[in-house]
Amino acid sequence: MSDNPKKNDEPQQEGVRLLDHAYDGIQEYDQRLPNWWLVTLYGSIVFAAVYWFFYYQSDVATDDVENLEARLQVIEAINLEATLAMLDNENLWKMSNNALYIEAGQETYESICQTCHGPNLEGGIGFSLIDNEWVHGSQPVEIYKTIDAGVQGSGMQAWGPTLGPKKVAEVVAFVLSHHSPENMKDAQSAP
Amino acid sequence: MPRDRQKPSRDSVTTIGEDGSRNFLHPADVKGRFTLWRRISAFFLIAFYVSLPWIHINGYPAVFLDLAARRFHLFGLTLAAEDLWILFFFVTGLGFFLFFVTALFGRLWCGWACPQTVFLEHVFRRVERWIDGPARKQKDLEKKEWCAEKVIKRVTKHAIFVIFAAVIAHIFLSYFISVDVLFSWFSEGPATHPRAFAFMLFMTAVLYFNFSWFREQLCLIICPYGRLQSVLIDDDTVVIGYDEVRGEPRGRKKKVRQAAASAPAEQVFESGDCIDCFRCVEVCPTGIDIRQGLQMECIGCSNCVDACDDVMVKTGRPKGLVRYDSLNGLAGKGKKFIRPRLFLYFALMSFGIAAFAVSVTKIKPGNLGVARMTGTPYFLTEDTIRNQFNLRLINKRNQPVVYTVQAISDEKTLTTAGFEGGITLEPMEEVVRPFVLTLPREDYEGPFSLVLEIHGEPGDFSVGREVKFLGPDVRLLDENYEPTFGQ
Repeated sequence: MSDNPKKNDEPQQEGVRLLDHAYDGIQEYDQRLPNWWLVTLYGSIVFAAVYWFFYYQSDVATDDVENLEARLQVIEAINLEATLAMLDNENLWKMSNNALYIEAGQETYESICQTCHGPNLEGGIGFSLIDNEWVHGSQPVEIYKTIDAGVQGSGMQAWGPTLGPKKVAEVVAFVLSHHSPENMKDAQSAP
Repeated sequence: MPRDRQKPSRDSVTTIGEDGSRNFLHPADVKGRFTLWRRISAFFLIAFYVSLPWIHINGYPAVFLDLAARRFHLFGLTLAAEDLWILFFFVTGLGFFLFFVTALFGRLWCGWACPQTVFLEHVFRRVERWIDGPARKQKDLEKKEWCAEKVIKRVTKHAIFVIFAAVIAHIFLSYFISVDVLFSWFSEGPATHPRAFAFMLFMTAVLYFNFSWFREQLCLIICPYGRLQSVLIDDDTVVIGYDEVRGEPRGRKKKVRQAAASAPAEQVFESGDCIDCFRCVEVCPTGIDIRQGLQMECIGCSNCVDACDDVMVKTGRPKGLVRYDSLNGLAGKGKKFIRPRLFLYFALMSFGIAAFAVSVTKIKPGNLGVARMTGTPYFLTEDTIRNQFNLRLINKRNQPVVYTVQAISDEKTLTTAGFEGGITLEPMEEVVRPFVLTLPREDYEGPFSLVLEIHGEPGDFSVGREVKFLGPDVRLLDENYEPTFGQ
């Protein structure tokens, strides 16, 4: 930028002080910072003290890890509560007569289980779910457990963590809807 | 004319007092051709800002930065969070475009297009002038003791400021949650969405503070672009400047030109054209005197150009004592537009834009993620080996897409299960489904690689992922094999 020829002729503003030091002939003004700027400085000092007290010295504020753990506990509690209703053979049989459960279960079945157990539950890579042979238990709660936790060493993975208890129960309801408590009594629990 | 503010000096910032206190400016209103054009462009810029969330392209608002779903809709183009790397090229291209414009025309952006200037000059200052009157009355009102009139005017003004700040904040919020969601949140009340409400309150407070009090401090002290000026411009950049050759010596010498018409040539310039009326200083929104040369504070708003032109016409002098010109041009040297830095900025800008254009076409409208199912890596049955995968399909498009999945491999006997007949994914849908590969035992000769590929229609695109088909040690498949342990 061009130097202003007028600059040197104008009287220097009162109160504007030049610092003594000079580097390569360049000198520096000693001006006061804007007050609003100083407010941000003092403000952050106060904030740091308040923050330090609340987060590190007192129990008033909770940090992110604690918040996260608390929320995970809530989610787990909800899941546990939902699971409670499904740990009951009678309940699961009731669900197998409920159209909403069957419909929802069918949707999940067709998107996931069908790959191995066939579109009509006839089996394929996995076991048939339509016959009366139940390798891992024929009781509704046992079927629930098989889907939820999987079967080690077979191709059945644990779907509980992916689907959650509600969807697992829906799938159980859908599978059970092809059976009745009576014929399940005669089911063989061995291969 | 009495002046109650200190004369601007290059030694210090006009708006900051000696003790660090704020010197609040009351720039005078100005009329003229640049002001008119700036007003028109500001109108369209504000209309542009307000209307973007309302205009729908490809089923989504023109600009909708959907942070919650991590989808970014930009003028019909939908980007997933994983695609945002292409914006690097776009933003750098845009940045160098700004460099380019700056090298040519200085702070054109600041004076004409920056939201800070647009909202401040064309919304908030106009409200202020409408309520408090012109600059002189504003100053008088500020000095006045508190009385009914002052209270009414102040309350009215700040109430309107808060309303405008809230409107701007809401429009800003709708860029991130869309207008429809914004209205539904209105009807549900602040208690249902406390975080969004708090964000809106915070934005409103910041905007109100900025436009009612902070104002030019942002341009002078905070804005990094303003501070970059001195390295982006040179003596051939068009800036707003004062023609010293023509103006000096300044003074109130009326009709000098007419009198000098018959005088010898040397006497014509005995007195300059500047009548030292201080009009250019009065209209300056950052409180500088443009006659002291190009300064860091100048935001290139052209208020002083219009103000001086007006005075020149009234006093019978030619316009353009303060004008858009390069420093060389103002000094009476030749004008030059083409400079090496222009080529550099232009090349960098073109590179960014070109890289962006190319990478946009490379973005796949869908994605495939492959993970092995939990459990053992392979399963053996009596006569087959099985590998099981979970495929995660993502449709990043605004429209439903039909995907087919296939395993591309040299093994002819490899069979697959899952995704029979393809699968339709709704816009933005994401699914995880099993996909099972089965190979007869006798064809297995050790682990081999294959590609799982999805093909999407419409769009005719494919995304492939290489996976390994795993199995046991081949020797173990031989029934006659007898392992030997150790030597």
